[in-house]
Amino acid sequence: MSHSQDKSSALGQGVVIFVYLAVLTVLEFFVAVSFEAVPLLLVVAVIKAALVMYYYMHIYKLNQEDGTDEHSYEYKTGSNRLGLWLFLLSDAFVFGGLMVMRVNLLGNTRPEALNQVLGLLVTAVLLVSSFFMNRGETAMAHGDTKSFMNNTLITFVLGLGFFLGVIFVEWPEAAHEGLTVFSGTPATGPMGGVFYFMTGMHAFHVLTGLIFLAVVWNNARKGIYTAEKHWGVEAAAVYWHFVDLVWIFFYPALYLIGTAVALK
Amino acid sequence: MKGFFSSALARGLFWQLIGTLVGAGLVTGIRALMGLTATDTFFFTEPAWVLGGFLGVLFFLVGSGVTSDWIKWARGIDTPDHHEDHHTGWDKYANVSLDHKVIGIQYTLVALALISIGGLFALIFRAELAASQLQFLTLDIKLFGQNGPQLYNTLMSLHGMIMIVSILLGISGIINYVVPLLLGAQDMAFPRLNAFSYWIAVPAAVLLLMSLVLGGFDTGWTGYPPLSARAPVGMQMFFLGVFTAGWSSILGSLNVLVTVVRMRSKGMTAMRMPILVWAAIATSLIALTATQLIGLSFQSVMFQRLFGMGFYDAAKGGNPVLFQHLFWFYSHPAVYVFILPGLGVISELLPVFVRKPLFGYRWIAMSSLGIALVGFVVWAHHMFTSGMNEYLRVPFMYSTLLVAVPTGVKFFSWVATLWKGKISTPTPMLFVLGGIIVFLMGGLSGPPNATVSTDLHLHDTYFIVGHFHDTIFGGFVFPFFAAIYYWFPKATGRRMNETLGKIHFWLMTPSFFVLTFGMMYVGLLGMRRRIADYDPALGIDSAHLVLTIAGFLIALSVLIFFYNFFKSIKSGEKAEGNVWNSRSPEWQVPSPMPVHNYEQPFEVVGEPYDYGLKDAGYVKFIEPDKGTHK
Repeated sequence: MSHSQDKSSALGQGVVIFVYLAVLTVLEFFVAVSFEAVPLLLVVAVIKAALVMYYYMHIYKLNQEDGTDEHSYEYKTGSNRLGLWLFLLSDAFVFGGLMVMRVNLLGNTRPEALNQVLGLLVTAVLLVSSFFMNRGETAMAHGDTKSFMNNTLITFVLGLGFFLGVIFVEWPEAAHEGLTVFSGTPATGPMGGVFYFMTGMHAFHVLTGLIFLAVVWNNARKGIYTAEKHWGVEAAAVYWHFVDLVWIFFYPALYLIGTAVALK
Repeated sequence: MKGFFSSALARGLFWQLIGTLVGAGLVTGIRALMGLTATDTFFFTEPAWVLGGFLGVLFFLVGSGVTSDWIKWARGIDTPDHHEDHHTGWDKYANVSLDHKVIGIQYTLVALALISIGGLFALIFRAELAASQLQFLTLDIKLFGQNGPQLYNTLMSLHGMIMIVSILLGISGIINYVVPLLLGAQDMAFPRLNAFSYWIAVPAAVLLLMSLVLGGFDTGWTGYPPLSARAPVGMQMFFLGVFTAGWSSILGSLNVLVTVVRMRSKGMTAMRMPILVWAAIATSLIALTATQLIGLSFQSVMFQRLFGMGFYDAAKGGNPVLFQHLFWFYSHPAVYVFILPGLGVISELLPVFVRKPLFGYRWIAMSSLGIALVGFVVWAHHMFTSGMNEYLRVPFMYSTLLVAVPTGVKFFSWVATLWKGKISTPTPMLFVLGGIIVFLMGGLSGPPNATVSTDLHLHDTYFIVGHFHDTIFGGFVFPFFAAIYYWFPKATGRRMNETLGKIHFWLMTPSFFVLTFGMMYVGLLGMRRRIADYDPALGIDSAHLVLTIAGFLIALSVLIFFYNFFKSIKSGEKAEGNVWNSRSPEWQVPSPMPVHNYEQPFEVVGEPYDYGLKDAGYVKFIEPDKGTHK
C-alpha cells in the first residue's frame, strides 16, 4: 500500500511530476510552432505518457504482493486493479483506431481552422486537473477524506470546464472558422469528420470520468472510504488520468503535427 | 408461464420496447419542432431508430435488474458477495444469476437459439439456390419493405452475423461453465460483470433481428461502405446490434483473464493448467482488444450516415479501404476467437478417450498463444483485391501462411496422442474426431486463399464459403457439440442418449462434407458468393440441388440433437459420478455441480493429462483440518 511513502513526500512527488509534464507540454507547443518535428513530438508524448502511467496511475501496483487470502479486501483490490487496466487496454484500442483513421485520412496535414491558444488552454486545464486528482488520491491513501473531497472538487470543476470548453467554445469556434462535421474535400480529406469524431469520443470519456468523480465524491461525503479501503477512489483516479493520457496523444495529433491546411 | 412474465428476461424485453419508443419518440418530437421530416418508411426516421435502439439496450439492462448492485454501490450501499438463488427449473435461466454455471448455461441456451435462427435463414436462401432463376424469393413478393432478392440479401447477411454472435455466446458458454471449475475457483473474478456480459447480449440479438424487419440491408455481414452508407435503416440496427454484442465479448474476456490470473488453485502453475484454460486466455486476449476495432469501424459508418462525416465518402476525401482495414483488424482475429476454445476442447477431451497423456502439452499451450499473436498481423489477406497498396500483399501472404505453423503443431499433437491409444468412441469423442478431420479440410483449403496468385481467382467465390464453413464447423461447431455431450452430465446429473447422439453425428458429418466440398466445387466453376441467382449456363444446377439437400440433412441432424437435449434433461439416464473416467477436478465431485462448486478446495499435485500412468494424480482435495473436529 501507499504507506511506503509518507504523505508530504508523495504530494511533493506529484508537484515535481506536474512541473515535468507542464514543461514538456510547453516545449511541445513551441517545437511545433517553430519547425516540423513529428518524431520529436512523438518522443515527448511518449515521455509524458510514461510519467503519467507511472507516477499518477501507479501502474507498478499491478505487480504488488497482496497476500493469498482470496476473500480479503486487499486481494480483491488486486483483482479489480488488473480488471481496470485490462479495460483501459481495451479502450486504448478505440483511441488507437482513431489515430489510425487520422493518420490514414489526413496524413501530414491538420485543419488550419483550429485556435492554437484555445488548444493549449484546454490541454493545460486537463493537465492541472490530473495534478489535483493525484493530490486527492494521495490524501485519501493517508485517510484524509476532507482534503480528498476538496481536491476532487477542483478536479471535477476543471474537468467540467474542459468538457464544456470543448463542446461550447472549441467546437463552435472551429465551426465558425469553417470546420464542420461535413467538412472535407478530396484534397484535404474529411477533416471535419476526423476532428469531431476524435474530440467527441474523448469528450465522452471525460463525461463518464466526471460522473465517476461525482460518485466517489458523494461516497466520500458519506465517509465510506478509509486509508486502507478506497478502491473506488483509486479506480476513479486511474480512469481520470487515462483520459488525460489519451489527450497527451490527441492534442499533438490534432493541433500540432503536419502542415495546417485551409478548407475554403 | 406466469413465472416467465415476471422474470428478468421478460422485464428486460418490456423495458427495451419502452426505451426504443422513448428514444425514437424523443428524436421524432425534436425533429417535428425543428420542422424536419418526422416520419419515414418505417414510421420513425433513421436517427430516431438509432437513438431508440441505443436507449432500448440501456433500458433493458436497468429494467432486467442486472445493474442493480452497481447502482447500489454507486450510492455507497454495500451488497453481499453472493445472492441466494430462489428460482428453480427454467426460471433460474430467465432471471439474473451471479453463478458462473447458470450464466454458462444461459449463454449456451441463447447460442443454441441463435444457431437455430441463423440456420433457418440459411435453409431459406439455400432453398432458393437449389435451382437457377428465382423460385420463391421473386421480384413480386414484398415483405418488410423488401422484394425477394433484397430479402435474400438480408437473410444471407444476417445468417453471417447471427451465427457469429451465436458462436461468441457459445464459446462464452463453454468457458464460463468450465473454466472456473477447471481452476478450482468458486466463481469468476467479477460475478456481476459476468452476468452483465451475458445480459447485454440479449438486447443485441433483438437489435440484429430488428434489422430484418426495418428494411434489411444488403451488404453481407461485412457491411462495407459505400454500400453500407446508403443501405436501408436496417443497416443501423445491424451496426448497433454488433456494437452491443461486442461489449459482451470484451467484458467477458476481461473477466476470464482476471479469473485465470487471480483465481487458480494452489499448485496450479502455468504449465499445469488444463489446456482449455490456455485456449481461453488466447481467445480472450484477442476479444478484449481487437473487438474495439469492429466497434469503431461500424460506429464510424453509423456516424457518416447520421451526421454526414466523410470518413468513407470519396467526395469528401474519405477512404473506403480504411474501413476494410479497421474491420478486418478484428474480423480476421475473430475467427481465432471462434476456433481457439474449440481446439482447446479437442485437446482437453482427446486424452480422456484415448487414455494416454496429451502429446506435447507445452507446445499446444504455446501454439494457442502463437495463433492469437500471429492472428493480429494477417488481416489484410481479406483485401488482396480491394485496391490497397500492392506492396502490402506479399507480407500479409507470408504472415497468413505462418498461421499454419502453430496450427500444424496442434495437429501433430492430436495425431501423436491418438497413436497407439486405447480409443473409445462415445458421442463426445466422435465429435472430437469429426472436428479434427473437418478442421483439417478447412486448414488445407486455406493456403490457396492466402496465396495472392490463387486468391485473385478465388476471392468472393463459393470456394471461400466452403473453406470457412469447414474451419468454423471443425473449430467450433463440432467441438461445441462435443462439449455439450461431454459436460451435459456435469450440469444436469443425466446423460444424453447415446444412440441419438450417434445418429446426430453420422447424419451431420457426411452431409456436411457434401455441403462444403460441393461449395468449393461450384466456387471453382464460377459460382459467386452472396448472389441470389446464377447463370444456368454454368452447369451447376444439379450440384446446387445436392448442396441444398445436404443442408437440410444437417438441419435434420440438429433437430435430433435438440430432441435429445430436451428429452435427456427430463428423463436421461442418471449419471452422477465420473462418467468419462476423467482426471479433471470437476469430475471428482458429484454431478450436478454443487452451487458453490468445490466444498473442499483442491491442490494440484501432478500433470493434468497423465492418463494411463500409475500413481500420477492431478488434483488432491485438501482435507479440512481433522484435529479441530475431534
